[in-house]
Amino acid sequence: MNAVPLAAAGNGERRALRFLADLSQSLALSLDLRETFPLAVSRIVDFMQAEAASLFLLDPARGVLECRLCQGPVDITGLTVAVGQGVVGRCVAENATQLVRDASADARVNARVDAETGFLTRSIVCAPLATAQGPIGALEIINRRDGSLFDADDAEVLRLIAAPAALAIGNAQLAQGLVEQQRIQRELELARRMQKSMLPKRRRGDFPIRGVNLPAHEISGDFFDFFDLPDGRLAFVIGDVSGKGLDAAFLMVRVESLLRWVGTRAPAPGAWLGEVNAQMCRFVRDGRFVCAAVGQYDRGSGTVRLASAGFPPALLHDGVHFEELAADGPPLGILAEADYGEREFTLGKQALYLFSDGATDVRTGATDRLGENGLRGLIARHAGLAPEPRLRALLGDLKRLKLVDDTTLLLLQEPRGAQAHGLLELEFPAQAAQMRGVRAALRHALDAQGIAPELRDQLVLAVDEACTNIIRHAYGGECTRKIALRLGREHERLVFELRDQAPAVDPACLKLRDLSECKPGGLGLPFIDALMDDWKILPAPDGHGNILRMRKRIPMGEHE
Amino acid sequence: MNAVENTCVTEDLGGYALVRVGGEVDLSWSQKVRDAILAALRGGDVGVELSRVAYIDSSGIAALVEGFQTARGKGRRFALIAASKPVLAVLQLARLDKVFVLFADVEAARAG
Repeated sequence: MNAVPLAAAGNGERRALRFLADLSQSLALSLDLRETFPLAVSRIVDFMQAEAASLFLLDPARGVLECRLCQGPVDITGLTVAVGQGVVGRCVAENATQLVRDASADARVNARVDAETGFLTRSIVCAPLATAQGPIGALEIINRRDGSLFDADDAEVLRLIAAPAALAIGNAQLAQGLVEQQRIQRELELARRMQKSMLPKRRRGDFPIRGVNLPAHEISGDFFDFFDLPDGRLAFVIGDVSGKGLDAAFLMVRVESLLRWVGTRAPAPGAWLGEVNAQMCRFVRDGRFVCAAVGQYDRGSGTVRLASAGFPPALLHDGVHFEELAADGPPLGILAEADYGEREFTLGKQALYLFSDGATDVRTGATDRLGENGLRGLIARHAGLAPEPRLRALLGDLKRLKLVDDTTLLLLQEPRGAQAHGLLELEFPAQAAQMRGVRAALRHALDAQGIAPELRDQLVLAVDEACTNIIRHAYGGECTRKIALRLGREHERLVFELRDQAPAVDPACLKLRDLSECKPGGLGLPFIDALMDDWKILPAPDGHGNILRMRKRIPMGEHE
Repeated sequence: MNAVENTCVTEDLGGYALVRVGGEVDLSWSQKVRDAILAALRGGDVGVELSRVAYIDSSGIAALVEGFQTARGKGRRFALIAASKPVLAVLQLARLDKVFVLFADVEAARAG
């Protein structure tokens, strides 16, 4: 129909235009169709002077039209018709208004509904709800109230009325789609957080295992884990589930639990992988598999036992040379009868790196991979750093390059503070005259660590007070017996150890006096307590003497 | 930090004893400082000049506290004069910076 100039329009047409404007406006009030549509349909029924009207929406997945709303003597809400079937189905299939003047003499009319409801359909107009993407449903009116039959004008008016209705429904569906998208996004975020919460908590102090996991998307197929064994050894696990997305993530959760469950019984690493593999082969059916490496570390002897199921080769780095430790068997979940070998070595001061292939798949150009040599280069570049900052530096490098896959790194290395070589080692007789030299040496060592002068002087004071206490109280006065001072580092902490050969000190006898009392003596211990983060007195391991261990956290970045 | 020789000299400023302390006041030296302060307090009011103290530990602080308490018992004035940064830091740590009377120079201490 051509646009009708308002001035030229007749009374009926003016009425139609006003109705259209009102209808469009009322449909635009809300995106919730349940609010706007019942009223709209009953207004359409009145305006068209019809006995009944119904709104059908297309379910594209099923290829059917379902009556979502109706007005009139018979409630057909929920009724479905196939696209192409009956008047409504044909209207949508052809995307064209259907006029059935005389229902009794028209083959398009499905007599079933009348037969079931007792309603008598005399005349029908049905207009498609047309959108740019095709029809999304149909609007149907039935029977003129005055008993006459619908004509071409009615069909044209209904086609016009259907346009704003289609627009409103399209908008509402679009909005609903957005809401759905947001819901999925929220659930993915929740899944990501749950996955993250499954990773073991970073352990403070001189713990030798560190791991990081960088998911390429919300959900990761990589994982790592470490835990204490009843015999005191540490167990560690790293893995990579083939594929991506939710199903890989679910398999990850299952395999991670299985690895931990089997691993807590401390089987030899080869047998550990063997059992997990056998169990996995029972429940993995869709060709998925898991690459994993597992191991145990005995801190006392420094022994590492390691086994790998198709995991990228581990790297053992002594600061200069790399040794490559290849996989001992196929990935988990492929061959139920697979055997896994294992290897044993002494860690010493070396660092063991385990990394998922995401670390080497990092892109260095449009198509170039970082590769294992690239990763070795990065490790070597940061070899001078302590484990924690080194791992962070590596991670920073990988992030700056283009991450295409989940990336997980596990580092096993004794922190330097726990190693034999300290930053300063001194042994001197328990004499006050020694202290000036000890303080100078300590200042020098702290300066070398980049400690700010103010903090340095405080630390020197605390150590001096501790030595003074050993001379005066532990040894009961100056003597030729020795005091040993060792300064070490554990991550972000300086560790001061003073060892004497005096009779055992009962820590309960050491009372902290209140600094607010003004008294000449007993200030040494309060000074130590105020200046250090913590301190404790332990019996020396060989039973001779005491060890005073004092620790102080130093701001990172200032050092290294 | 320059190595400063340990010194402890008492000057009589006519009824006001000035004990000039310098160097590193630790366990090896604090007893001498203590003795000098207590000896000076036998004469009258005492000021301890600390501008050349490069280091002081709790035993040195204890010597100053003992001087402060002895002076109070005798009704004498006792002040710290021109305390160096290391001295002030340790006094603060021991929360004694508000206990002692501190002066910037000898003239102010004698007048105060």
